Order: sequence, then structure tokens, then C-alpha cells
Amino acid sequence: MRGWCYLLPLLGLACAPEAGEPAERPAFAAILYPIDNPSTPAGEALGERLFFDPGLSADGTISCASCHRPELAFTDGLPVSVGLAGRAGTRNTLGLTNVGYFHHPLFWDGRADNLEAQALHPVGTDHEMGGSWPETVRRLARDASYRTAFAAAFGSPEIDSTRVGRALAQYQRSLVSRDTRYDRVRRGQAEYTAQEALGHALFFDLGDDPGGPWAGLPAAECAHCHTPPHFTNERFENNGLDEVTDLTAFSDPGRGAVSGLVYDNGRFRTPGLRNVALTAPYMHDGRFRTLEEVVDHYNSGGHYAENRSANVHPLDLEPAQKAALVAFLHTLTDCSLVTSGAAARGCRGQPE
Amino acid sequence: MKYFLPLLLLLLFAWGCLDDDDQFDPIREADVTVAYHAEYDGQPLAIQREAYGYPTGDSLKFLLFQYYVSDLQLLPADGGDTVRLADIDLIRWMSAGDTTDVERTYSVPAGEYRGLQFGLGVKPELNAMDPNNFAADYVLNENEFWGPATRYVFAKIEANAMLDEDGRYDTGLSYHMGSDSLYRTVTLNRTFTVGNGGTDRLTVITDVFRALSGNGQTFDITDPTKQTVHGGNQQVAIGIWDRLAAAFTLETE
Repeated sequence: MRGWCYLLPLLGLACAPEAGEPAERPAFAAILYPIDNPSTPAGEALGERLFFDPGLSADGTISCASCHRPELAFTDGLPVSVGLAGRAGTRNTLGLTNVGYFHHPLFWDGRADNLEAQALHPVGTDHEMGGSWPETVRRLARDASYRTAFAAAFGSPEIDSTRVGRALAQYQRSLVSRDTRYDRVRRGQAEYTAQEALGHALFFDLGDDPGGPWAGLPAAECAHCHTPPHFTNERFENNGLDEVTDLTAFSDPGRGAVSGLVYDNGRFRTPGLRNVALTAPYMHDGRFRTLEEVVDHYNSGGHYAENRSANVHPLDLEPAQKAALVAFLHTLTDCSLVTSGAAARGCRGQPE
Repeated sequence: MKYFLPLLLLLLFAWGCLDDDDQFDPIREADVTVAYHAEYDGQPLAIQREAYGYPTGDSLKFLLFQYYVSDLQLLPADGGDTVRLADIDLIRWMSAGDTTDVERTYSVPAGEYRGLQFGLGVKPELNAMDPNNFAADYVLNENEFWGPATRYVFAKIEANAMLDEDGRYDTGLSYHMGSDSLYRTVTLNRTFTVGNGGTDRLTVITDVFRALSGNGQTFDITDPTKQTVHGGNQQVAIGIWDRLAAAFTLETE
């Protein structure tokens, strides 16, 4: 055993880059793969098959991909999701870009601690898949090819909701975007246009630096919550969407419904902005149709509530500055994640 | 009597299993909880739940208070090597559901100590590192970056203020601070004993009020140019930062 003590450092040296050889910088901190659900090719393949299978729903019409459409960066283009029998949900469909990197609670209100738990929710929700897990599992188990796929993924053919959730989580952890124009600029492989560079400076408050090249530029205050590299702080904020003088008056309490704290009413999870140009409409209720409307909202400072984020206040941006912010947001598009459809054909953000 | 021989053998066996070092050994290590306690003007800090008065006559409701701590260590009374408890930690109050104390428990060598020391902020060697080298859920990947290539915001104070007597906490105050030049070492002197009936809880108290108003200086929250301090305008916040660094005290139980 003791021999390993000497062998391992030698192995490390052998694997280290040679002098002068640039070590590749990791794009992001590594995904956290749960000990009880490590990703495997068989698990990811099963998760992908389940993701696109409408058989998970009560009447065989709704799959995960019905709302999480790849060509829209895994959103649906609707203000709120529409599920079984055309039933409207209550919230906007969140995109799944880089969702595997998040380690704080998921959904707009944070009601699921991780992807495995999140994947269990839609099957039994009336306005999503409208069914039940026992019936869904029975349906899957009747298919011999699924039993084979579960055996390949998990070592035995048994099917249950936990395994379905785990396979779906594995697939979602594979939805990685790291090749946006923003990423390529960071790597020195591309340059912003002048408008994108202005938007970048506004987004990251570079005007605050009195000695910097952008001194005097207004601060758009975006990155306090939409923090790189995934452009979310994974926390819950009230971004000033609704005017309330009483915290119990929010039509959708958001985080407050989960935490039980009235002080969390009107707070929602900060969504990541990678591929945001593909995920209209915006906000938890899809009230803004375009990125321009979103920027107008933040420029106004939003509406009053005593738990409104202290970083949401009037910005006094000029029209050209607002347009620059939108241009920068388009640099967060990664068309490699968009596999088909009109959005793929018109996908902005790739190099010329 | 018939059980005497087996009992004797059992005792001898048990005696033989004892390591020489196990016998009559004093306690070598003990668990000590470091409790970070936040206050406002001597009262427990309650996120959102409480309205606090301010010397300008205005009032505040806090949304967030957090700070990084580097190189948390105990100072042995005999002047020996310091006992490192943590390289880096993020102490944060951001929800009305948070308790006033943020606790961490460490196994610490028993003995006499003369105090506790830490760096307020992220120490320069960590502040220069690529966070992608750490796990996604590591304390240095809690999305407290200034920007894509600039590292950590050391401390944040966020609140909404009522500047008019209209019942509306509608003026956001947001103070984000941090840079290598702002890194401060905080030494809290207090003698205590760990183990053998000594203390098992060290309470590190900081008072947000003292960070905003102290030493005869009060940060003017009514001045619009001083309501948002982010990024490069750190000179505006340096008074808050220095008062915060001086606002820590240590209590033992």
C-alpha cells in the first residue's frame, strides 16, 4: 500500500503538461455528479429517451420536451407553460442550459433541491403531465426496450420513479454550453463589436472604475444577480415586477410559498442568462415579450415592494446604451445547443 | 468464585488491548464552535423582520449582510504555532429565516489560548486564483465575483431605507466591498481554555451599525452618490470597510 504513496506523485508528474505547454483552463468549475447518481453514457441515453417520450404523461401527449424545446434553448416560447389537455400552468418555462452546474434549489421558487428531485415534479402535476408515477412506471415497464435500457443504466431492469428521475438528471447534466461569443471573447478567439463591448461594460458596471476606460458610464447593475460564468447567483430576488405595499399582496408569492416566510413573497430564483436571446418571453410569468422590454423594466427601477432588491433602481440609460445591453445579451447565445428548427437557422451569437 | 478466573482473564485481555498512550491520557482535542453573531446597534440583526433607526433620522430594513473570512486561527497562549481552523469561509445572513448566529464547529487541540485571528476578506493568494479550479459548491464559487475575470466581493451590506416619513422602504442601499488593498487582519484578544472543562463556544460578534456609523463618522445614506457602492468606486466605501474591520469582538462561554 505504501508504494502508492511514491507512485501517485510520479503519475501526477507524468500527466502534468510539459514546460511551456499551456494547460487548458477549465471552462467552469466542475459539475457536481451525485455519488448515488454518477453520469454514464447509458444513463444519459436513457435520460434523453425519457425526456422526449410523451408516454410519461397521462394521455401520452406531453413530454418534457413539449415545454423544454431544444430549438428554444429548452424553453417553449410561451408566457407560461401549457401541459396536458391545453391546461395553462402558472409560471414561465425555465431554460436548461448548464442546469447541471447549479447546486442551489431549482425551479422559480426553489422547491426542488436538485435535478433528481426536480425531475419528479411534472409527472403528477395536473397542468403539466397530469398523471401519476405508479401509472407512468407501469407504462414504462411494459416496454421491453425500456427494461433493457434501465438495466444498462442502473445494473438491473427494475423501473421506478427514482431511477427515471436519475436518468433525466443525467441527461440534463449533459446540456452544457461553453461556446458562446462571450466565451470566445474570453478565450481570445473573437472580439466584441463596439456595441457589444459597450453592453459588456454596462452589464459589469465597468463605469464604476474611475481610472478605467469606461469611467463615467452608467452602471446597469446586472451582474450582481446575473453573475458569470452561468449568469445567475442562484438566489431568490424581488426584481421589482409588482407594486405592493403589503408583502401578502403578491399574486404569486414565489419563494415565499416554499419557505413559508412572508418576507420571501415576490422573490424568484435568478435565472441564468446563457441563451437568454432564445428563451423569450421573460420573467416568472412571461410578462415581457422581448429583451428590450426587460431592459426597459430594469432601466425604470421597477416597482415598489419593501423586499425589492437594493440593486434594482433607476439606471438612466440612454437608448443606445439599452440597445448595447441587448446586443451583449445576444453574445450569450450558444447555437451548438440548439439542434433544430427556425431558431437554429436564425441563431445569433455565432462568429461570422 | 467459579467466575473469578474467566473474569480475571477478561480483565487482563481488556488491559492488554489498551494502547500505552490511552492510559490516563488528558484530553488532547475538543470540539469548539465558532459562532458568528451579527448585530445592529447591540441588537441581534434580523434580516427584513426589523426596522432599525439610523443617526440621520431615517430607518433601515436589511436584506443582506455577508463577509468572507480567511485564515481563521487560534492564537496559543504560549506563543506557539497558530492553530488553523479554516482557510476560507463565507458568513452570510440573507433570509428572514436565518438565525442570528452562523456556526462552525472545529476539533481543536486542548490548551490555553490568548485569542482568535482572521483575515477579513479573501486573502490575496486565493483572490488571485481561478475559481474554476474549485468545486462548483465550494465557498469560493458562491457567485461573489466582481466580474468574469475579477475576483471576489469581500463583503456586502444591502438594505432598503425609508428616507421620508411615508412608510416606504424605497431607497436601496448596496455596499459591495473588496480588493487586495482592503484585506485586513482582525485579531481578537481574549484568553480562554479549550478542553478539560474549558470553553466550547467562541462568539465572534460584529455590529453592522458600527460599520455604518462609528468613531464619530456616520455614512450619509441620504446622499444619492453614497447609496450604491460597487466595483471601482471603493474609495467611497473605505470608511465602512475600516469600521467593519474594527467592529468585531470576541466572547467566550
